[in-house]
Amino acid sequence: MDTVRLRPPLVRGEDRFVAGVCSGLARHLGLRVEVVRWVMVLSSLLGGAGIVFYAWLWIMVPTAAEATRRQARRPASSIAPAVSLAADVVEDSHRTTPALASAAEARRAGRLAGHAREILLGAVLVLVAVALGGRLLGAEIPLGVIVPIAAILGGAALAWMQLDDSRREQLVRGAGPGRWNGWLRLGAGLALVIAGVALAVSGSQWNVLGLALLASLAVLAGVALVLLPWGLKFWRDLAAERSARVREEERAEIAAHLHDSVLQTLALIQRRAGSEADVTRLARAQERELREWLYRDSRRGEGTFVDRLKALAGEVEDAHGHSVEVVSVGDVPLHGKNAERLEALLQAAREAMLNAVRHGGGSVSVYVEAGSDAVDLFVKDRGPGFDPEAVPADRLGVRESIVGRMRRHGGEATIASGPDGTEVRLHLPGMGAEES
Amino acid sequence: MSEPVTVVVVDDHTIFRSGLKADLDERVRVVGEAATVEQAVAVIDELRPQVVLLDVHLPGGLGGGGREVLTRSAALLPRVRFLALSVSDAAEDVVSVIRAGARGYVTKTASGPEITDAILRVAGGDAVFSPRLAGFVLDAFGTAAVADDELDRLSARELEVMRFIARGYSYKEVAKELFISVKTVETHVSAVLRKLQLTNRHELSRWAADRRIW
Repeated sequence: MDTVRLRPPLVRGEDRFVAGVCSGLARHLGLRVEVVRWVMVLSSLLGGAGIVFYAWLWIMVPTAAEATRRQARRPASSIAPAVSLAADVVEDSHRTTPALASAAEARRAGRLAGHAREILLGAVLVLVAVALGGRLLGAEIPLGVIVPIAAILGGAALAWMQLDDSRREQLVRGAGPGRWNGWLRLGAGLALVIAGVALAVSGSQWNVLGLALLASLAVLAGVALVLLPWGLKFWRDLAAERSARVREEERAEIAAHLHDSVLQTLALIQRRAGSEADVTRLARAQERELREWLYRDSRRGEGTFVDRLKALAGEVEDAHGHSVEVVSVGDVPLHGKNAERLEALLQAAREAMLNAVRHGGGSVSVYVEAGSDAVDLFVKDRGPGFDPEAVPADRLGVRESIVGRMRRHGGEATIASGPDGTEVRLHLPGMGAEES
Repeated sequence: MSEPVTVVVVDDHTIFRSGLKADLDERVRVVGEAATVEQAVAVIDELRPQVVLLDVHLPGGLGGGGREVLTRSAALLPRVRFLALSVSDAAEDVVSVIRAGARGYVTKTASGPEITDAILRVAGGDAVFSPRLAGFVLDAFGTAAVADDELDRLSARELEVMRFIARGYSYKEVAKELFISVKTVETHVSAVLRKLQLTNRHELSRWAADRRIW
């Protein structure tokens, strides 16, 4: 074991029973967590020294997350506001203001929490000072006062854990394994506080406890009523912070995407400005990609027939710089027992599209109608047309890869050619229950 | 040819407007331009053009874009005809402007002559269906034919016409293919447009709801 001089920084750990002080301390000192915990527990028995030490560390030592955040108070990405601004102008121009305001609010709330920590510490010290001072002046403070106050303080501390920054973070995200745990602690804390108040009121006379409990509940209800608006406001701040965070993540994603795709393409276009064909192809490919990204249907999984067909059309478009427009009605999944036949249809369609962009003129229209019993696919170009019968036998394109392939998979292909252009019609029946 | 058709171009991109004006031929005359919803409503009301080329996405107003221009100009609708123009292929964009009263839809990538043809067609009272719009119609109404008397569904012939348009056929080609006149094709297409605008069929609403239109 080489003992490195450089110790890990003292931060509260993630692995925690109460506040992660012991695990943090263990990491910092290079000891085992159990050892530290036992020492802490044992020292707590020595007149509560351990408890005081623990509380001190809890208050003064940040959690790992807090520490990193404190180091990197990063300014928001400079590109994100620009993008968000553009997005907001389109959507709703006055939506930016609440977002900004809520961010400021959130920052203020963060500062408040920081101050609250110091206030808590101060309050505890003042209480201790009062107790000690009272003792010095000869006023014996009875156990009946100390126990309830300790109970109240303990309960408050337990509930306070909810306001611990990392907990707050989880609350903000609205999920996390700590949630249930957190409610339990809050409940325990409240119970302790109620018990403490009850004890204080009843003066540790157990027979009036019931009545006292009622009284203390009434007091607490009153306090709750008073604090409710504040609590609600705090909760709203949290919600605002959460939605702001979600929006910021979205913006970052958009910014990243635009950077990777559109900006790159624009740079490429500038360099190839001389070649019209290249510029058209780049613009067209980028347009398709962006469109796909903007209008993608997030509900649908990958791998439907139409998705694949569109991808193929895109490839053909890229390879030949010729626009291929795909219109679809209905869709079928690509997996299942018809997968192989659908794949054959796709390959035939690809061949037809390639022919259309090679020999046809104008734009190429692809129409697919995928029903429950058959898939029909049409590829139409506006070229001069040709006579299918006159195609020499050695030209594999049409004869083999379209007509033959369709026939082998129980479908059929017909080719209609005229002066207005050529249309390849592909029909694949038996998509329903019957097995081919 | 008689008088050129008067057109107002509504689009928020200046470059696109000037490019479009240069591309249109002498059969149409651009009499006005607008860049926002408010401008468009004012200009259309003042100039009363025969056709408005209307971008689907427009700034201003209540954020409704082209659809808002249509609803706010509804009083002029029978005399001023709207042709929607968009870079978007999204169903919600296309179908919502059609439902609001546009007589047709072309994509911005269409060539100058294509757009000119579409303008003339709309000015003549016909509907302009791109393959994609025909696809949306087939998707929304379903591809099964029904008897002619069901008003809010497509007849067998209308379905046939829609299919050909979706396949990229021009009206002339459709007419040739079905052995009917171009005029008859135009009648069918206008009927489909009317059904698309008027119907409240729950299939259509569900289709729309699935795509979060309307």
